[in-house]
This record gives sequence, C-alpha cells and structure tokens, in this order.
Amino acid sequence: MSDVPARTGPPSASRWALIYVLLTPAVILPLWVGLYDRVDPTFVGFPFYFWFQFALILVAVALTLPAYLLAQVADRRDRVRHGLPPVPDGTGSDRKAGDER
Amino acid sequence: MIDHVNGVVFAVFIFLFLLVTVLGFAAARWRRADLDSLDEWGLGGRGFGTFIAWFLIGGDIYTAYTFIAVPATLYAGSAVGFFAVPYTIVVYPLIFLFLPRLWSVSHRHGYVTPADFVQGRYDSRGLALVIALTGILATMPYIALQLVGMEVVLQVMGIGTTSDTWFVQHLPLFIAFGVLAAYTYSSGLRAPALIAFVKDALIYLVILVAVFYIPSQIGGWDHIFSTVTDGFADFNATNADAIAAGDAAPKAVMPPQPLQWAYASLALGSALALFMYPHSVTGVLSTRSRSVIRRNAALLPAYSFLLGLLALLGFVAIAAGVKVDNPQQSVPQLFEDQFSPWFAGVAFAAIVIGALVPAAIMSIAAANLWTRNIYKAFINRSATHKQEATQAKLVSLLVKFGALVFVLALSKDFAINLQLLGGVWILQTLPAIVIGLYTRWMHRWALFAGWAVGMAYGTWLAYGVKSPVQDHFGGPLVNFPGTETKVYIAVVAILANLLVAVVLTFVLRALKVDEGVDQTRPQDYHADAGDPGVEEELSPDVPAHA
Repeated sequence: MSDVPARTGPPSASRWALIYVLLTPAVILPLWVGLYDRVDPTFVGFPFYFWFQFALILVAVALTLPAYLLAQVADRRDRVRHGLPPVPDGTGSDRKAGDER
Repeated sequence: MIDHVNGVVFAVFIFLFLLVTVLGFAAARWRRADLDSLDEWGLGGRGFGTFIAWFLIGGDIYTAYTFIAVPATLYAGSAVGFFAVPYTIVVYPLIFLFLPRLWSVSHRHGYVTPADFVQGRYDSRGLALVIALTGILATMPYIALQLVGMEVVLQVMGIGTTSDTWFVQHLPLFIAFGVLAAYTYSSGLRAPALIAFVKDALIYLVILVAVFYIPSQIGGWDHIFSTVTDGFADFNATNADAIAAGDAAPKAVMPPQPLQWAYASLALGSALALFMYPHSVTGVLSTRSRSVIRRNAALLPAYSFLLGLLALLGFVAIAAGVKVDNPQQSVPQLFEDQFSPWFAGVAFAAIVIGALVPAAIMSIAAANLWTRNIYKAFINRSATHKQEATQAKLVSLLVKFGALVFVLALSKDFAINLQLLGGVWILQTLPAIVIGLYTRWMHRWALFAGWAVGMAYGTWLAYGVKSPVQDHFGGPLVNFPGTETKVYIAVVAILANLLVAVVLTFVLRALKVDEGVDQTRPQDYHADAGDPGVEEELSPDVPAHA
C-alpha cells in the first residue's frame, strides 16, 4: 500500500502482510489449474477437478474470516496513523459537516 | 402462438411473477421516498446493512449468467465452462482488499460513481468521461445476457416458438424487455432490493431441490459424470473429421492441458472485471459502512457453492437425456422434464426474477453514470433535481434498448460471450480505478492513452474471433501474442493497457506535464461511517466535493 509510510508501522504493516498471506492462496490456488485438472481421486462420484474446486470455496471462506478480524485491527491502526480517531467518533453523522468541507 | 403451454406451469409462473411485480411497485412506497429526486431513485436512499447488502450484491453476481449461460457451456461440452467457479472464488479476496478503500473515499467526497472518483483523484474531465462511457457500454451486453436468460425460459414454456413471423418469434424477448423496463422506471433501486429477498428465497429452494432431487432420480453423480464423459468421447469419435478440420469443437468435461491458461485467464479476467462494473459499485456504495463490505466478502461465497452446483446441471441435463438445439434451454428443459408442473412454474419464475433483478440494478447504475458524469458534467451543468431524475429514468430505458440491440445483432447461442465481451471493455477502466485507490503515481494522460489502446485492441481482437455461427465476436479467447496458448481477450487487452500507461507515465513525468490536483488525501481511504465529512448516504443530487 503506497500511502503507508514505512517508518510508522510494524504493527499495522505486519498485520496487512499477514492478511495478504492469508488471502493469496484464495487467489492463486483456483488459478493454478494444472494442480487440480484431473479425474482421480473421485469423491462421492465427483471427479477430483470438480470436488477440489468446491473445496476451494470452503478454503477461501476459512481464510477470509481470520483476514476479516485482522483487518478490523489493522484498519484502526491505519486510521490513527492518518490522523483519525481509532473508531469514528460520530461527529460525521451530520451531512452539513461534509458539505462545508 | 401459445400452443403447447402447460396450464399449471404457466399459472404458477404468472402468480409468482405478479407477486414480485406488485412488490416492485410497492417498493416505490417503502419508507415513503421521494422518487422524483435522483438520490432516492438511484441509490436506494438509505445505507444498507450486512443482511440487505448480502442479498443485493448477491443479486448482482448471481444472475441469468448462473442459471442459464454457465450450465449451457457445460451442456455443450465446452471444456472451460466451469471457470465461473474459480472466478467467484477469486473475486472475494479482491473485493475484500480494494472496495473498502473505494467506499471510504467515495463517502468522504460524495462520489456516487467510479467516474466521480477518477475525476476527483486525477482532475481530468476527459478521463472521467471515458470511464463513464465505458461503464455504460459494458453494461449493455451484460443486461443482454439477462434478456436472453428470460427469453429461453419463456421459450421452454412454449411461448412464441412455433411462429414464423419475426415479431412473434422474438415475443418472449420483447415481453422480458417490457417487464424489466416498466418496473425499474417506476421504483428505482428499491425494487431490486426488495425483490432480491423473494428472488433468493425462490432460488435457494429451486437449487436445493434441483441439485439433490434430480441427480438422485437420474442415478447419482457417479452415473452422471460417466454418462457425460462417454457421451463426449462418442461425439469426438463420430465427429473426428469435422474437429480436425476446425468445423466443430471437441467436447470435454474438464480443460485439456492446452486450455488451462484459458480457464485461469477467464476466471481472473472476470473476477477483476466484476467490481469495475457500475452496478457492482452501486451495490457496494449503498452499504452502511466499510466493514459491511468485508463481512460480505466472507459471506458471499455461499452463493459460489450454488453457482457450481447449478453449473453442473448442464451435465445433469445430458445424463437425463435432455435434447435441445439451443444449449441455453437445457436447464429450463431439464426442470420441465423432471419437476411436477407446479414446481416447474416456481423454478421458471425463480430464473426469470433472477435475471430481472440484476438487469434492473445494472440499468440504474448505468443511468447514474450518464446523469452525473455526462449530462451534468457536460450538457446541463445547472440541471434541477427533477431534470436529473428524468434523465436517469430515460437513460435506464435507453440502456435496455442498447441491450436489446446486442441480443438481436449478435449470436445468442452462448450469451456468456456477451458478458465476456462486456468484461473486455470494463476491465480497461481498472488501472484508473484500482491503481488509483492505492497510488497517484500514474499520470492522467497515460491512463487515458492506456484505456484507448486497451479498448481498441480488445475490441479488434474480439471482432476477429470466428465461431461456427458467426464471423465476428464469436468467442472470448485468442492466442496470447507470440504463442499458441489461448487466453481471455480481456487479459491481453489489459496488459497492453497497463504497458502503455506505465511507459507513458514515465515519459509524461520526465516532461513534467501537468498532472492536475488530487482532491483526496491519504486519510480519506480509511474513513468510516461516523467520521467528520463522511456522508452516510451518497446522493447523486449533491455534487462531489473536494
């Protein structure tokens, strides 16, 4: 992320690195067709090619959930670094405030 | 013209369809919105929470594409048809990473469309204009796919197929078009949001019955896969000469080794393209806070499972002995053959509503683009709210006419090719939008040039693809330049686009060409609901601000 200055952040940067590590298999494995493009072993009648891709859906969900929790924390730290309070303080609910800016 | 229509099927279908239509019109009164203002008509007016957003975004993604187009490719033995499953796996990590940033910056600055963001980030009306035009253009073939989906269901029900006259032949298409146009015109985004609940309830019911009941009737998945494999092998043996001569495509259950890259590139290209579409952006921006998007990225794969099982209905239809000339009729025909008439009616209604909802969302999003980024930016800068809302409604109709033209002009044997053509175009907006979310390094004119090259090159490549039924725009795959490896055109075009954009950025920066003023600050990409300046509701009425 280009607008994350290096000096600020092992905490948030390493969390983001971990998020990327978690999410990368969810992108790479489905695109690595040579890995699963075969018939055996079959599972309840499904060739490997098909059941493996269904299994990848579950893998993707299993990886996204921890990534979500990590991102919640990383977001808070990113916010602080960019001069925002860790969680929104509610002052923005008035639309007028937005229009004046 | 209505000869062999089954009364029960038709009655159940019409009942559910009318129920949904009434809901659609009632949606206009939901929360007593003022639909004369574009705000209410175009974005639903209020922030959607996780639950509604799940249905709404799901409605964008799982469409006639899922029920008709993808199973048709499997039925026809296209080796790469199942790419829709990796596509819908890969798309969620991308949503997870990119879209929260787009949400934040858009709500901070009142951006309603991707073109608003590009205008604010790059200070270029020209670049914003082409982003808007690309969005409108690319949406049309995607809506066309929905129209084809509705059409084949009506055909299988027996409407309009037995006549010789041009009009009656296309009657199912015109009916589909008319219904879609009527109800989006009157209730805007509220209609699809409310109907999405009915749609998803119906679809889950139909899919669960279809994927468990039908295979068991036919002899189980083992039997289905072996029947299909043998059938394809027979086909390839009988047609060996035609295949060798290139007049017929060999059939396959899974991609042979040379097509692995085609499979992967179709999945990746479609995934990258999906959240460039204006309708995906509309859905994402109508959520209440940025965490809603991430939560949805973890929840939406539930639909991918259904998509995969539905895709396999193309094989189920083969094993069940369904014989149709148009592969896209295979799933509706399977339902009619296997289900009792009343449940076939339910299934048909589910498919048609499942095409109607996304088509409505797509045309509304395209209309938003027109009104904000073309009409108000170039044609009538001092437009009143009423004028804007009128423009949006008219353009949502025009976009549907555009879709109709795509249906009538191009071969609809594989409507999925329509959607993939739209993908070629919309993907060319990726550098300006996604890279722009992370860095301002790219120069605005380099992005413009990259876009132009990607659009021209991609369209030219698509124009040159022949299929057995048409000379141009016959399919989504070309040989990667300099190789014999087939890949998705969109991926080739985006690489050309990026290459031009990067090289020209170096050149323009070296020449110190004016790069414009960036309205956004790094902080804006992290803002959430409740922060100062963050609009809870995005309103197309309110111009984007610095």
